[in-house]
Amino acid sequence: MGSELVNSAPLHTYTYAEQFNSQFPFYLSIGMTYDQFWNDDCELVVYYRKANELRNTQKNQELWLQGMYIYEALCCVSPVLHAFAKDGTKPLPYPDKPYAISEKEIKERKETIEKENRKKAMAVFMAWSSQLNVPSNTEREEVNADVHHD
Amino acid sequence: MAKQITFEFEDKEYILEFTRKSVETMEKQGFVANEIAEKPMSTLPALFAGAFIAHHPYTKKETIDKIFDKLTNKQELIGKLAEMYNEPIMALIDEPSEDEGNVNWGASW
Repeated sequence: MGSELVNSAPLHTYTYAEQFNSQFPFYLSIGMTYDQFWNDDCELVVYYRKANELRNTQKNQELWLQGMYIYEALCCVSPVLHAFAKDGTKPLPYPDKPYAISEKEIKERKETIEKENRKKAMAVFMAWSSQLNVPSNTEREEVNADVHHD
Repeated sequence: MAKQITFEFEDKEYILEFTRKSVETMEKQGFVANEIAEKPMSTLPALFAGAFIAHHPYTKKETIDKIFDKLTNKQELIGKLAEMYNEPIMALIDEPSEDEGNVNWGASW
């Protein structure tokens, strides 16, 4: 134990070319061309690696999102999948729009919901006010005039 | 952007740079970086000549030797060439991501 550093066996050294050749297939797999790897700016590999990381993250995000949609779809049909579901049970409607992902979309979606809620509240208020026997403006003016004459 | 050395000699602009292909070519021609300390007289001019492969592969050896002789501040030049020579391999090595377990180091010079 611990005698590896004083081992007299010669170390196998790799040439730079051997290292390049061993890593070349990986860079080909992430989209680098032969010419870019061997003859172009040698720093290019750093950016290809970073781009590959970003691509992997994006792919992971997409797969996660797909999983969410599948989960959502299962939740929507779950009422009819129930073995003892009552006759006439219908599945819940699948969301009519995809998830809002960008900040702009989220903001727009929020504004739309708020607008719809305002409309609903207005409709409820109008329905309520129409049931009350509130005198019209002309009737109100007549009442006011009578009061002044008295 | 890869490290480069630029200069003008007899009205011609030269760009010295190492690509993976030029490093491979040098090794095929027998260049061994480890020999810089043991055989500096033959290795250093070979290192300098190798830097021409990427952009000026058809430059005559006499011209390269002439330029090498005329270049000033050789000590610094050799340091820069060695750094450039290592660049194609260093770019392949991933820096470890920020982590508490990373080992920091310092040098005394």
